Amino acid sequence: MSKINIKDWINSAEKELKEKKLEELFWETPEGIKVKPLYTEDDIKQLNHEIGLPGLPPYTRGPRATMYANRPWTIRQYAGFSTAEESNKFYKEGLKNGVMGLSVAFDLATHRGYDSDHQRVVADVGNAGVAIDSVEDMNKLFDGIPLEKMSVSMTMNGAVIPVLACFIASGLNQGCPIEKLTGTIQNDILKEFMVRNTFIFPPEPSMRIVADIIEFTSKKMPKFNSISISGYHMQEAGANQVQELAYTLADGKEYLEAALKRGLDIDDFAPRLSFFWSIGMNFFMEIAKMRAARFMWSEIVKKFNPKNSRSLALRTHCQTSGVSLMEQDAYNNIVRTTVEAMAAVLGGTQSLHTNSFDEALALPTNFSARIARNTQLILSEETGITNVIDPLAGSYYLESLTSSMVVEANKLISEIDDVGGMVKAIEMGIPKMRIEESSAKRQAKVDSEEQIIVGVNKYKPTEKQDINILSIDNDKVRKKQISALNELKKSRDNKIVDKYINKVEEVAKGNGNLLEICIEAAKNFCTVGEMTGAMEKVFGRHTLSSKTISGVYGKNVKSNEKISSINTHIQNFIDRKGRRPRMLVVKMGQDGHDRGAKLIATAFADLGFDIDVGPLFQTPDEAAKQAIENDVHIIGVSTLAAGHKTLVPLLIKALKNNDADGIKVICGGVIPPQDYSDLYKLGVSKVFGPGTNIPEAAIEIMDIL
Amino acid sequence: MKLQDYLRFRRIKNKTFAKLLNISPVSLSRYISGERFPEKEILIKIHNLTEGLVSPNDFCLQDEKNYDFNENQEIELKKFHQHILSGSRKHLGKAITLIESSREKDQIISEKLLELFKGNDKSIRIGITGVPGVGKSTFIESFGMKLIRKGFKVAVLAVDPSSRFSGGSILGDKTRMEKLSVNKNAFIRPSPSSGHLGGVAKRTSESILCLEEAGFNIIFVETMGVGQAETEVYDMVDIFLVLLLPAGGDELQGIKKGIIEMADLIIVNKADGELKKSAEITQREYKNAIHIIDKSRISQDIGVVICSSLNQCGFDNVWKYILKFIDIRKKNNDFINERNSQKINRMWGLVDLKVKGFVKNISSRKFVEELLKDVKKNNLSVYRAVKMISNYIIKK
Repeated sequence: MSKINIKDWINSAEKELKEKKLEELFWETPEGIKVKPLYTEDDIKQLNHEIGLPGLPPYTRGPRATMYANRPWTIRQYAGFSTAEESNKFYKEGLKNGVMGLSVAFDLATHRGYDSDHQRVVADVGNAGVAIDSVEDMNKLFDGIPLEKMSVSMTMNGAVIPVLACFIASGLNQGCPIEKLTGTIQNDILKEFMVRNTFIFPPEPSMRIVADIIEFTSKKMPKFNSISISGYHMQEAGANQVQELAYTLADGKEYLEAALKRGLDIDDFAPRLSFFWSIGMNFFMEIAKMRAARFMWSEIVKKFNPKNSRSLALRTHCQTSGVSLMEQDAYNNIVRTTVEAMAAVLGGTQSLHTNSFDEALALPTNFSARIARNTQLILSEETGITNVIDPLAGSYYLESLTSSMVVEANKLISEIDDVGGMVKAIEMGIPKMRIEESSAKRQAKVDSEEQIIVGVNKYKPTEKQDINILSIDNDKVRKKQISALNELKKSRDNKIVDKYINKVEEVAKGNGNLLEICIEAAKNFCTVGEMTGAMEKVFGRHTLSSKTISGVYGKNVKSNEKISSINTHIQNFIDRKGRRPRMLVVKMGQDGHDRGAKLIATAFADLGFDIDVGPLFQTPDEAAKQAIENDVHIIGVSTLAAGHKTLVPLLIKALKNNDADGIKVICGGVIPPQDYSDLYKLGVSKVFGPGTNIPEAAIEIMDIL
Repeated sequence: MKLQDYLRFRRIKNKTFAKLLNISPVSLSRYISGERFPEKEILIKIHNLTEGLVSPNDFCLQDEKNYDFNENQEIELKKFHQHILSGSRKHLGKAITLIESSREKDQIISEKLLELFKGNDKSIRIGITGVPGVGKSTFIESFGMKLIRKGFKVAVLAVDPSSRFSGGSILGDKTRMEKLSVNKNAFIRPSPSSGHLGGVAKRTSESILCLEEAGFNIIFVETMGVGQAETEVYDMVDIFLVLLLPAGGDELQGIKKGIIEMADLIIVNKADGELKKSAEITQREYKNAIHIIDKSRISQDIGVVICSSLNQCGFDNVWKYILKFIDIRKKNNDFINERNSQKINRMWGLVDLKVKGFVKNISSRKFVEELLKDVKKNNLSVYRAVKMISNYIIKK
């Protein structure tokens, strides 16, 4: 028998396909990478990356030599529940049940550097995380949890200096020496300007703050990860995997350079940098992304001539994708999270957060949080996945895909290099625009059922399921925080406070280290808002000027009956009203996630609406003013962080006060189903959840008008 | 022309005209209201007495829509006007919607409303253009806030492009005018470029009148810096600012496009950080080149200033220049003369629109369709068809 070769396979494949052509089995990923139906050894003969061995440069197979064979990944569940006491209870419950590290979510007011009593955060205190106003809240948060032994990860970027200062002060209070504190601070401000918008100061002083933290921790806190360079929020905002990979590494490069400019030695801080990926449903692509990232990072760092090979190793945390969670048929989310968690593990993550299935609706309950934890425990203790290091290495498909990712991502990185680095590119809006394009493209594909989501646009459930979810009384939390704040301001020595606040301002003006002075300020009970305010005096508060893309959704949505019926609807509307339907899309409160709002704006404009876009962080009064001046027919409120319960009633009241209750209000985003009826009672015309089909929604809206 | 319009136009009292016709004032008012049709002799007399402006046809043809309001509607309209005068944002917003509306009824209401306006020449109307990315909105945000601090009330009108495919649009200007948009002494209204026949931009001058009636005394009109909208906006403002990017060494921007020729003031924007030097070079280049440009509105050389929204500098120079510019033009009456000629231009523009609308209307009439068939078949010359159609229009 002669040796079998690829031609034989093509012959037999074509026989099986009958009339179909082999080319029809090719698939193009959202990144434009062509995937063949079969890979062979020919595909890995010429790779653009080096596979190597685990724990050794270029670390493609993992940053540690033994990986999970010796110790599985860290189960690290991100959580924060309104008050420090509640969160503390949740952490202790988790630690009893297999969680190995803490991850703190802060509320939006804290993220933006406002104390709980600030007038702009009426709806934000206690939403999406824990409210921290001073070192006292931090003490309550870690009550009974020894910081000397526990690694704590903190998602904080905007108010990173005061929050980290409070954390350190709290550790010192417990008697933990500063050098023994372990954990991670996200401290990744560049992606905030790109996608998440939880910034406070303009890019330049923000980069100085990043460098201040790297400098301080590299000298005083050797076990602490000074920055977690995050692609997660990019994918959440709609980036594809290549964009997430490229822009995150480009951010990393920018941070390296900022620290080097400070005069630090690369080996003093590079080993303390960590990364953070989002893991979505594109299974093999995610694994390839993680391996490509490790190879590419080692190449990037190599150029700065480190002596310690650990500087080249990329360590990462992963979280399963939040945007992949759907409100419809919500139990499916458990399965999605499982598949994603598996990809993260096969990709070699160092720690993992698995989402709870109800996170498309609200914050997790004890029940849903338990399932999320167990997902990881089952993977690590029942499947045997952990026994072999990097088991997929050498796979024809995976290595070829990894290689393609390296090539595609390098193209995007050189686009950034060409304009002079990430800070410049962000100022020009390049990454933001590219990500929004991907997001609009994906939505168009889902709306025209080219991309399938089970239970959403195909195999829809016939019965409604009731899901118990957690609801938070935001007003109660706020009042509690405010009374504690008043108490603090009475009991502390305000002269000392003033002295430190002035010092913070001075250091901000000069060249000292802001973290160092803020630790002293935090010890002396200066609040997060006061420390931020002192820096704001010098740096100013950054405002975002953002453009909304147009045309991408329209080009990618396949024409069907729904779309053509929209045209007739709009024409009828113009005949009746003398103009097109005009909608103001608003985001109120301190939540900066504007993917949903942007997507709605661009898709509706492409369907023929006139769309007004409000600035981020609007108050209800400001939104009403804009709606009235522009005489819109309808206001679309985009909400993700549970602010709707406070903000929507205020908006409706503001409209009434101005005799403009003719303007209709609709809501969209993450809204618990039990809140729907309350919103309808208030006068909201329609509520849309995640996974809403946009053309259908457009028709419903015109019917309301 | 309708008899009633003629009498108003010539300021002739009904009683006087009835006497000339030798009929009772009651009969005359019946003719005017259309209750009764005049006899042949009376029709001829009217035709002669009115220099032919009121012809028998004017009594036959009813207006397509009743232009006259009843008493209740008049009262409603006056209330609407009062609301605008007292500063109601809602009514101001609605008034602009009426002006931009494609519905005939809305058009009639908006015209009636505009007739109530007294108008004044106290405001300054400022046109602003520049290529996308030059920082127009950020400039207006910073400059507008400065003017508000000086005690002015600032309004901004902006026309955003509508998509050629869907007809929809993104009207995002307020995201870039964050402080201005929430200030109680500011009013910002972006409009889509599609919509009203002939483009919403054509109605911007009416929107300006609404804003002035509501007490706004600085009106910015922002355009995109591409295409013909510039000329339209130039014709509705007192001073026209062109924003440029610092581009030291590059060829002079905008000169080819003819935009610089319209500038009353050139502003080199974004003069901050590394760009400060090249902004200064650009400024010098334009100062040198300005002599070759025709100066349309002012005899002195066009100003060239550098500005930075980021560092908040240059705005005082811009404001000083505008004040001086307006002052000179007020003193030699150019200011008021130009506003008047702009008003006349506006009128002709509206006549143009009406005629266009009319032509569009009759193009679907049966006799026109038949005519077109004949033209296609060469049974009828193009010129004869033109004559027939225009005669038809003139008679109407």
